[in-house]
Amino acid sequence: MKSVPTTQTDCFGLGWRRELAAEVFTQLDRIDVVEVIADDFFDAPTRARRSLRTLAAQVPVVLHGVSLGLASSVAVAAKRLGKMARLCDEVQPQFWSEHLAFVRGGGIEIGHLTAPPRNAETVAGATANLARAQQIVGAAPLVENIATLIEPPGSDRNELSWLTDILAAANADLLLDLHNLYANATNFGYDPKAFLAALPAERIRAVHLAGGKWVQARGTQRWLDDHLHDVPAPVYELLTLVGECVPHSLTVILERDGQYPPLASLLAELDCARDALALGRARRAANRLEVAA
Amino acid sequence: MSTPRLEAFLAKIYVDEDARRRFLADPRGEALRAGLNDAEVAALETIDLVGLELTVRSLTHKRAG
Repeated sequence: MKSVPTTQTDCFGLGWRRELAAEVFTQLDRIDVVEVIADDFFDAPTRARRSLRTLAAQVPVVLHGVSLGLASSVAVAAKRLGKMARLCDEVQPQFWSEHLAFVRGGGIEIGHLTAPPRNAETVAGATANLARAQQIVGAAPLVENIATLIEPPGSDRNELSWLTDILAAANADLLLDLHNLYANATNFGYDPKAFLAALPAERIRAVHLAGGKWVQARGTQRWLDDHLHDVPAPVYELLTLVGECVPHSLTVILERDGQYPPLASLLAELDCARDALALGRARRAANRLEVAA
Repeated sequence: MSTPRLEAFLAKIYVDEDARRRFLADPRGEALRAGLNDAEVAALETIDLVGLELTVRSLTHKRAG
């Protein structure tokens, strides 16, 4: 496993999707990193895994897990972690990541990243699962905040407290999904900038960007994180704020899962992300000069 | 409160349409029949119904894909 970059060189990249692959190969000068869904390769044939190693030889790769269910009160099976360990050994990603979600319970596979009850039991469960993940895989994952359309029942604390409790207890670093933050703040009535300002900036190591749309039930609208639309302006504003808060380098990934526009549009979104983060970096530098003066 | 038991119940009503229909018709009764205790039942009686409907819709849409 390569180490997470610590020099002031931010990396910008895309989620690796088969539909985009051919075009992406022609634009590697504009893409610093690609994020590969690890689970797609856990049981893949040798040929597919060989192609992934070939990809990793041409462009830096990070692996992103979607089905471990790290934030459950129930232990993640060693077999699942073993699959991630083998893939990390083969690909040597810059880092690997997984969501703070629960995805199964009572033997039922939900097939969906869902928010667990935010309470002491899931903080302890996530902490234990992260320790096992580090032990089996050989490196700790970055953990990602998830979008939720439902306030999880059985919670005794809010999302910010729950997330920071896990980061502290597990000594974990964060893959901060800014669209998930934006969606949850929109749906449950809190200020995403205040949420961001309260996070431990030194633990933010990577960022996800995505888009979504309004959905409605029982006369109430909520914002759905669907990865099918362009990144909305408020998410870029949050990225600028990240640039102001975080002193070290970041890996920024644009996620798109369908309704693909021409690759040029996605690359333009990456350029917007570069500009947004650079603006935050410039503000941070200006603030430091003011303080020094 | 047993969070693993609550997670198992949530997984069931997210995925199993019949269980969800029974739960929406009688949240307390269905939770008690599933063996949940008073604290877990109380948590489910105040469930975010908008969120439940949208979560299930999102999940169903993806499975259909």
